[in-house]
Amino acid sequence: MKKAATSILSGIGAMSLALLILSCVRTNQERLTLELLPVGNSPLIGFRILLEFGSSHDPPGQEGIGALMLSLLAGGGTRDMSYRQIMEAFYPMAAAVRIQMDKEMAAFTGTIHIDNLEAFYAIFKDMLLNPGFRAEDYARLKADQLNFLQKNLVGNMDEQLGKEILNLMMYEGQPYGHNENGTVESVRGITLEDVKDYYRRRFLQGNLTLGLVGGYPADFPRRMEEDFSVLPEGHTPTVTLPAQRRPQGLEFVIAEKQTPATAISMGFPVSLTRADDDFFALWIAVSHFGEHRQSLSHLFQKIREERGQNYGDYAYIEHFIQGRGKFPDTNYGRQHQYFSIWIRPLANTNRHFVLRLALRELRRLVEEGIPEDRFRLTQQYLLNSTRLYAQTLQERLGWKMDSRYYGNDDFLAEAQKRLARVSHLQVNAAIRKYLDFENVYIAVITQDAHAFKDALVANTPSPITYANPDMPSAILDEDLIIQSFPLDVTPDKVRIAAAAHFFQRTGVPDE
Amino acid sequence: MRKVPLFWPALSLLVCLPLKLPGAEIFPFDYRIEQLENGLKIISIPLDNPHIISYYTIIRSGSRNEVDPGKSGFAHFFEHIIFKGTKAVPRDAYDAYLTRLGAGTNGYTTDDYTCYYTVFAGRENLEEVVRTEADRFIHLYYDEEMLKTEAPVIEGEYYASLSNPGRRIYELLRDTAFEKHPYKHSTLGYLRDIKDMPNQFAYSRLFKSRFYAPDNTILMVVGDFDHADLMDLVRRHYGGWERSGYTLSTPVEPPQVLAKRAHYEWPTDTLPRLAIGFHGPAYSDTMTDKAALDLLAEIFFSRRAPLYQKLVIEEQKCASFYAAFADHRDPFLLIFTAVVKDNDDMGYVEEQIFDEIERTKNELVLESVLALVKSNIKYAFAEALGTTDGVAGSLALFVSLAEDPGTINRLFDLYERVTPEIMQETAKKYFQRTNSTVATLARGEFR
Repeated sequence: MKKAATSILSGIGAMSLALLILSCVRTNQERLTLELLPVGNSPLIGFRILLEFGSSHDPPGQEGIGALMLSLLAGGGTRDMSYRQIMEAFYPMAAAVRIQMDKEMAAFTGTIHIDNLEAFYAIFKDMLLNPGFRAEDYARLKADQLNFLQKNLVGNMDEQLGKEILNLMMYEGQPYGHNENGTVESVRGITLEDVKDYYRRRFLQGNLTLGLVGGYPADFPRRMEEDFSVLPEGHTPTVTLPAQRRPQGLEFVIAEKQTPATAISMGFPVSLTRADDDFFALWIAVSHFGEHRQSLSHLFQKIREERGQNYGDYAYIEHFIQGRGKFPDTNYGRQHQYFSIWIRPLANTNRHFVLRLALRELRRLVEEGIPEDRFRLTQQYLLNSTRLYAQTLQERLGWKMDSRYYGNDDFLAEAQKRLARVSHLQVNAAIRKYLDFENVYIAVITQDAHAFKDALVANTPSPITYANPDMPSAILDEDLIIQSFPLDVTPDKVRIAAAAHFFQRTGVPDE
Repeated sequence: MRKVPLFWPALSLLVCLPLKLPGAEIFPFDYRIEQLENGLKIISIPLDNPHIISYYTIIRSGSRNEVDPGKSGFAHFFEHIIFKGTKAVPRDAYDAYLTRLGAGTNGYTTDDYTCYYTVFAGRENLEEVVRTEADRFIHLYYDEEMLKTEAPVIEGEYYASLSNPGRRIYELLRDTAFEKHPYKHSTLGYLRDIKDMPNQFAYSRLFKSRFYAPDNTILMVVGDFDHADLMDLVRRHYGGWERSGYTLSTPVEPPQVLAKRAHYEWPTDTLPRLAIGFHGPAYSDTMTDKAALDLLAEIFFSRRAPLYQKLVIEEQKCASFYAAFADHRDPFLLIFTAVVKDNDDMGYVEEQIFDEIERTKNELVLESVLALVKSNIKYAFAEALGTTDGVAGSLALFVSLAEDPGTINRLFDLYERVTPEIMQETAKKYFQRTNSTVATLARGEFR
């Protein structure tokens, strides 16, 4: 899947030639890859260094080391400049270097005005090639990473916590099974020497794709390639993933904390990615069912619009990180993807009802498929909305890089053709093939967890309460069905742990 | 403006705008301002940038307009209700139209305005967008039941933000610092008022008639369209919208005469936070006070500032630290925020910030440092103007404040005119201890 090299072009010399080539890669996995997207008279230049390793490459016991290394490169000094000096140099250019880390990919990005290209690049390059690895930077960034795990994630961001716990459940004991930032125990054990060593093992030419977009000078890619050629040749093998583990029935993990609102994330692994033919059909199905932050979402209609229960309800067929304008962000490519449903926080009193509603709708989706008119509408929506995905320089380059990762020539262009060719029958076939309502991992952040568990196991009816005393009768009639909709929950499939105990060490904590 | 380049990737609509370099006018695009007889203002910015059009409706209604007791949150409430549709185009039909268009659409509410935007591809769709958008603002229809269903959604939005300590301390600071002005509450409003919304159908109608009117609205269109065609459509579809004639009387905030302090007890383990606010001036592109404080905040409290370096990088007492002085139509707060790593250091960090604030009054800033800051804000703004929607999105705030994109160039001219002496005088004027409010947030009681 990775590095599906298309054209060979090493040692770009002639300026005119370089301008005509939109992208060039080497076939040699041991050496650098270039991804170029010149935009003639743009005064901006975007750098995007794609790293083809991620948190799943963290050695066991050192979970989080990749993220710590990246933050040390981007948020620490170089051999020649302290981090303070870097910030002072970047400031008048309004320059910033950003990092992102996922399971199998990471990226360094920065966008700069052409006035400042040389001054910026001299530092940017050194951040990656000649890192300072100072003890004081290391101490600061390690403390930040621990604070994120111990304080922020479990205490200040319940929606994110739900998604992270779902991840722990789906991939327990697997390379994807820890948060990108590791665990409190593993991060505490990492030393600066470990990080330096990890940098040496991972900063190999074959792990880097040098991305450039915008109005860069014609000879710039060649210079950049030369500079980065000081890295040793070689690459880190793609991580070998075990078979995806499907849930056995409805499997719950409840993170308990004092909170007036319940957050729910649920899902299961799916055996397809953008590289598969069925992707486009299932994309239409799940866009209909839960398009991210759009009223198109069927779940949004049932839970928010009809019943006013929360701010939104969505579903996804791949790991989703929101970028600009609510569209998917790039460079989170994965070999294994998952289907998920995100129920945003709602009053604790209605948690059981809304969970029943969501699972009932999932069952209806699987058993009945989607209606013809909804199929047509969603198809048209995706054909139009995907035309808005890539607008900024960084987005355009990011989509191009993801296209290569999944083996598409140009994924967004391909989507225009392939979404249009998908039939209603194919969509409903894909739903039956990939989706399931009986076997689902369910992560819940709520209070009174034991009472909730008891109600789940006993299938206690859960009537909903409304602020509006005059709800339409059609909805009230449907509510009567939903409030007793049976969920097959056994006590051994409901694990409860205090929210504060998560991320102390790998896996789901014991009660 | 030059023509766009010929290097298209597969999707030809993707293009970066040619920008003028900083040093020339910071907002380099031609624009026109027109006004209909009913008071509706139209700001039109055609760009040589194929396909994409950003269509912004800016209602000058935010928390600033929520002057009636017990009625906080109504500006934001309308951001929800406006998507309910009209009799001609009910919600389902509206959703279907947006879905067909594949448009990026949303709304957001600030202290001063509510912004609704639709970003779509294809000038052939402009007529339908003008017609549909005009209809939903002029003929918005909702009944009491719809209000009662939507109000709890806002409660849900409040819950979604509840686990965010940054949001809580911001609300506490405003609530403590302001006495009379409606900036006292955030755009979401007080939870007690949100819970009462289902009972406020009549008030919601009053709010709508006051502010959802052409004389309180600015239409801004940016991107691939013809100005004359746009104006024909706008006259046809918005011409019959009746003006409100309502004059908002916002209470004037009395000068603060005593330093204030408040604390929020966080229920779980968290990094403690500190926010310090000083009452400052309103946005202006003619008076230097606001511009001088903007520059001061950058010089003394941004990432390159000595205090940031000390607290975050060297001593590592703070996880983050920044100053922000958001532009507002009425006088707002210049806010210093620190996320501290240890409860025991809260007092120390507060003292350090106040010491630094004193320094702004006693030391003249070097011209060379001032030049760095001016460079930073220019390049940061230039990057934001890189796409059609970047232009529209960056402009919305300024258009809401001054009803004219030209204000941006006037503001940057003003920055150029601010000298170290002006900055020092301005610091002395506003940085009085009695004009300050300190809010803290930590687990359990504190001090």
